[in-house]
Amino acid sequence: MVAGLREFALRSRDGSGKPVLDESNGEELMHVQPSVAVALGNRPVESPGTLYITSRKLIWLSDVDMAKGYAVDFLSISLHAVSRDPEAYSSPCIYAQIEVEEDEDDDDSDTESTEVLDLSKIREMRLVPSDSTQLETMFDVFCECAELNPEPVEEEEEEEVHNWVFSADQMDVRGGDEDAEWQISQSPTSVIGHSNGDEGLAQPMLELQINDQRFEDAEEMIHESETKDHH
Amino acid sequence: MLFFSYFKDLVGQEVTVELKNDLAIRGTLHSVDQYLNIKLENTKVVDQDKYPHMLSVRNCFIRGSVVRYVQLPKDGVDVDLLHDAARREARGG
Repeated sequence: MVAGLREFALRSRDGSGKPVLDESNGEELMHVQPSVAVALGNRPVESPGTLYITSRKLIWLSDVDMAKGYAVDFLSISLHAVSRDPEAYSSPCIYAQIEVEEDEDDDDSDTESTEVLDLSKIREMRLVPSDSTQLETMFDVFCECAELNPEPVEEEEEEEVHNWVFSADQMDVRGGDEDAEWQISQSPTSVIGHSNGDEGLAQPMLELQINDQRFEDAEEMIHESETKDHH
Repeated sequence: MLFFSYFKDLVGQEVTVELKNDLAIRGTLHSVDQYLNIKLENTKVVDQDKYPHMLSVRNCFIRGSVVRYVQLPKDGVDVDLLHDAARREARGG
């Protein structure tokens, strides 16, 4: 489900050169940065191009080759940063890491070869604006867009009871299905230890009443030691 | 919201964030949001050889969903407090 980097060349026909967005799903253009070069993985830098930052993804479109462009969803961008050290890379740029699905047949050399390029295996990307004063702005827009794209929450997760266990005491309460001998009640909604779905873990925990004398305070123990036999 | 509040209190302290892809980055916690996205400053990559490109990076934004661990300063953790708070949170309180 997680798509990494992919080719993208869908441009609008109004001649503006802008990419086609999924407006029906609320995708908006957040920022346009002209004169940006892109370097994917260890590949040589590609330019000239324009970077379009939308509320969902990054799109880089070549200014000279209308069929060339790349896109990556913010959901797939693990990390982004401003990189300024000339020793690490010749020009200041935005460095981004892309989350890639681990493949057993992963062969690193594929990402370096220019002939057989599997974009979905690209893990690092550098965006180099010709105007490096724009880097902070670009970084901030990346942050904003990342925040707009949190992990999608599955409906089920909200209702599911998380079976957290806090102590060994609870282990008895978790009778569940396997304890046929309990048979406390035929009704599935009132079995001790089962939540009926509405309450949280509070229910089984509050019912635990520990009357063990060992948990009494020391002072009370002294007082009770005389009446110990009656307990 | 528990850890969001907890991390907000840790802003300014040095932490090491280990990502699910094994990359570990040490830095000063600059900010955190409700999704536990993390911004670090004065970053230093723990294993420089694996990610040489990160050498020049000083500040970064890390997506919350790719974080595996956040290593905290020993004196930055009140274990009992965290333990109680976690219980309360799990009970829905």
